Amino acid sequence: MARFIIRSLIGTVVTMLLVSATLFFLLEVGSGDVTVKILGIESTPEQRASYRAQLGLDAPAWQRYLDWLIGNDRRASTLVGYPLRTIKNEQTGEAEWWADVNGQFTRWQLKEGRLFELRRQPNGSATEHLTSGGWEADETGAEVFWGVDRDNRAVKWVRGSGETVWIRTKAGFRREGDGPREYIPLRKGLTRGDAGQSLQTGRPVAVTLFPRVRNTLVLAGVAFLIVMPLALFFGILAGINEGKPLDRFISVTSLGATATPEFVTGVFLILIFGVWLRVLPAASIFTSADAIFRDPTLLALPVMTLTAVELGYVARMTRASMVEVMAAPYIRTAIIKGMPYPRVVLRHALRNALMAPITVIMLHVNWLIGGVVVVEVIFGFPGLGKYIYDSAIFGDFNAVEAAAMLTVTIAVITRILGDLAYTFLNPRIRYA
Amino acid sequence: MNKPQIDKKKLEAIHPYIPAAYELLEQKRISRREFIRTATLLGMTAGFASFAAACAGAPATQAPPAAQDTPAAASGIKRGGVWRASMRLQLLDHPARLSWVEGANIVRQTNEYLSETGPDNITRPYLLDRWEASADVKTWDLYLKQGIKFNNGDTFTADDVIFTMKEWLNPDVGSSMLGLLSALESSANIDKVDDYHIRLHLNTGDIAIPEYLFHYPAVILHRGFEGDIVKKPVGTGAFTLQEYAEGERAVFKRRSDYWQMGADGQSLPYLDELIFVSTDKDAGVAALQSGQVDTLYDPRPSDFQALKDVSGLTVRPVSTAQCLVLRMRVDLEPWSDNRVRTALKLCQDRAKILQLSYFGEGALSLDAHMAPIHPEYCERPIPGYQPDEARKLLEAYAAEKGISLPLKVTLATKNDQAEPEISQALKELAAPAGFDITLDITDPGGYWDRWTEVDLGITSWTHRPLATMVLPLAYTEESIGAWNETRWFDEEFTTLLRQAQATLDVEARRAIMCKLEDIMQDRGPIGNSYWKNVWNITRSEFQNVKAHPTAYYLMNDVWKDA
Repeated sequence: MARFIIRSLIGTVVTMLLVSATLFFLLEVGSGDVTVKILGIESTPEQRASYRAQLGLDAPAWQRYLDWLIGNDRRASTLVGYPLRTIKNEQTGEAEWWADVNGQFTRWQLKEGRLFELRRQPNGSATEHLTSGGWEADETGAEVFWGVDRDNRAVKWVRGSGETVWIRTKAGFRREGDGPREYIPLRKGLTRGDAGQSLQTGRPVAVTLFPRVRNTLVLAGVAFLIVMPLALFFGILAGINEGKPLDRFISVTSLGATATPEFVTGVFLILIFGVWLRVLPAASIFTSADAIFRDPTLLALPVMTLTAVELGYVARMTRASMVEVMAAPYIRTAIIKGMPYPRVVLRHALRNALMAPITVIMLHVNWLIGGVVVVEVIFGFPGLGKYIYDSAIFGDFNAVEAAAMLTVTIAVITRILGDLAYTFLNPRIRYA
Repeated sequence: MNKPQIDKKKLEAIHPYIPAAYELLEQKRISRREFIRTATLLGMTAGFASFAAACAGAPATQAPPAAQDTPAAASGIKRGGVWRASMRLQLLDHPARLSWVEGANIVRQTNEYLSETGPDNITRPYLLDRWEASADVKTWDLYLKQGIKFNNGDTFTADDVIFTMKEWLNPDVGSSMLGLLSALESSANIDKVDDYHIRLHLNTGDIAIPEYLFHYPAVILHRGFEGDIVKKPVGTGAFTLQEYAEGERAVFKRRSDYWQMGADGQSLPYLDELIFVSTDKDAGVAALQSGQVDTLYDPRPSDFQALKDVSGLTVRPVSTAQCLVLRMRVDLEPWSDNRVRTALKLCQDRAKILQLSYFGEGALSLDAHMAPIHPEYCERPIPGYQPDEARKLLEAYAAEKGISLPLKVTLATKNDQAEPEISQALKELAAPAGFDITLDITDPGGYWDRWTEVDLGITSWTHRPLATMVLPLAYTEESIGAWNETRWFDEEFTTLLRQAQATLDVEARRAIMCKLEDIMQDRGPIGNSYWKNVWNITRSEFQNVKAHPTAYYLMNDVWKDA
């Protein structure tokens, strides 16, 4: 058993690496210029180039993939010359990067051509100090300085580079254009628990991803708890009544419900319960983050839609499996020897009949969590499926990767659970 | 006793908003002075405006308007309530970097603009007290209102405006204001005269500076702004930002010390709370129908169809300068020949196209990129459907070239709002004239990748408050390589356009605009069947709601009659 689990875990890691690399390169090829989506088509090519650099998108693809995987703070640290650390900003709850200059957390800012040190105080604010030194000549002779800026990036400032624009101020003239010339947006990498910034929202992926995952888990959990017992019940009922009117009724109804696409079922349910009768919310409008708990009726129509779609699959699978088992010689023997019928069904037939439905059920857990995009779009339900879809359309690499890693993990866990359920249902199955 | 009656058609001929303003005057909802100011801004002569104002002195036969019909009546206004909207929410950090109106609808609740272009398409000072332009429109003096406070207690001064303008002009910020204010060149050309007076020195004259100041990324930031409005939502606006979660929701609370006063003598706003929920349009329609939200951002024509008869909702249409331009590449055969271009233009049965593609919800157009809502628009008869004329032109062209009709052409566009229907209608309408049109319809992304390159296409153009703001973008020699999708330019047209751009007086500008419209109709590169309407659809208990041509939410004086 231990070997089985270890092998599964290794398999999981390999799968995740392959999925992440494949996704990365697909997005690389397919998603076009993200900066146009952020800055709009009226932005100039220079503005887009500058913004690409600020996002770190001008680095080669392999570099960005490695940064995503293992982080880039060590690389940046050698450039800056000090260890780099993250501290949580109490106000925003997001992590901030600072350079650890002999115990003093420091960032830098270039203002009006002069370099300032921002020294972090214990209360989270920073004090400004003019600094003179620190500029070093590079191979071309230009004076450069590597530091950490206020936007969590390691930045190379080049003195006197860029176009020189003379700005008239109260104090006289000053030159503008000492802007940063190279950026490394700092990150720890997924292996150290940092999924990076979402390009679409400009916030850490985790901040937006986790509410979505929570919503989806609630939706999927409720749907699962309603659909599966019902489906198994109707499947068994139909299976032991094979060919009778009850079986025909259950089979035809469940087939009809499953054959109707969820966008049809969903729209009908909205029109009947949301618009006409006005008894249930027609859309999943979350006016606060925990709306789903304050007003559980928000779940009613999405769960009903999922039930209609799911019920038939599992019920029909259970029925078929049940019919097959009920025809087996050992069941006939059990009945002939005078065992009570309910006991034959529940103790002898059911265990074997559940093997096939368990596989389907476990696959459907995955589908409920990552794949119910259509239902989420119909109801405007802020869930994981829609998150992945929107991120992929935008070309938001970090968000897609993080969500994909999550769904891969869930897929693997449900598979392991399914495998364990087999051993429980059929003790002859052993994993080694 | 009998007062002379004013013909509203006559008023409408001057500017489509004037009849509406006249009605407001008749109901005593605006003052006589305000009407005259508006009407003259819109191009009505001062004499006629005063005459009309005198005529509007509420005819004896008409009952005085009821209190509920008069939003300005202090007694009717109720305070409090929550307003909920369905609108997509995406990345929001630096307002100057905004490239989508939804984000602007968020920041405009906390931050404000120097000017405001109202639903009537007229631009007025807002945070500014007034502006003055030199005769050559190169020097602009902006005078700020005094006594305005930010929501952090700081006083609003010229320093905030100059700080914000520098952000616009900093290429690393990535603001679309940089392109609009290219005549300003650099922040060195912004002078602080005193704490409430700024002077802009432009390299070339530009009359549209007040309009640019209401371009949606142009909200005024606090001088201590650090690059992320969500983290430090400091502004002069009527609401404060409580929560902003991309893709989820935005929540605003009323500010108690806002600088503008309501009709009841206390400070605005009337509403306590605004909530924006991020949903897809379809979910938003369902939510509006079932009463979960109060309005839907920028409804599509299909949403309008679904919602227009729902009880409890009020639909407010507004005409815009948004259009779907049928554009022809004049550097390529056969569109280089004006006869072919004119023939295709004559094949537009505008009313039918409007009906088929946009449910009749729009205003018919000339084959020129100037809309009736533009203040300087010059009235011209709308051309009719003339397939026989078109056929004659095409036959002449074919005979000269030694080819036989039908002329095979390909029309490219995107499957967006109304383009497939327009192209299908045009294909049928142009067949009798001798065109054989093949349709090449792709998804919007596919079309935007090649919109400047296709021979014949239908491109959607957004609303701009002045015709002089849109024409230089697409119909001059300099704009080839950028947004001039037809490669068309015309010496006379360019000269007149430059004149119009330097003419501040609306009446004088209209005289030039008449010529510009004629040139575009005679030998221009585009056909244009109609100008789209947009709709504001809001639950009926909300009062003072204004439908804006660019779907802006102006919430300061909206109130809920619960």
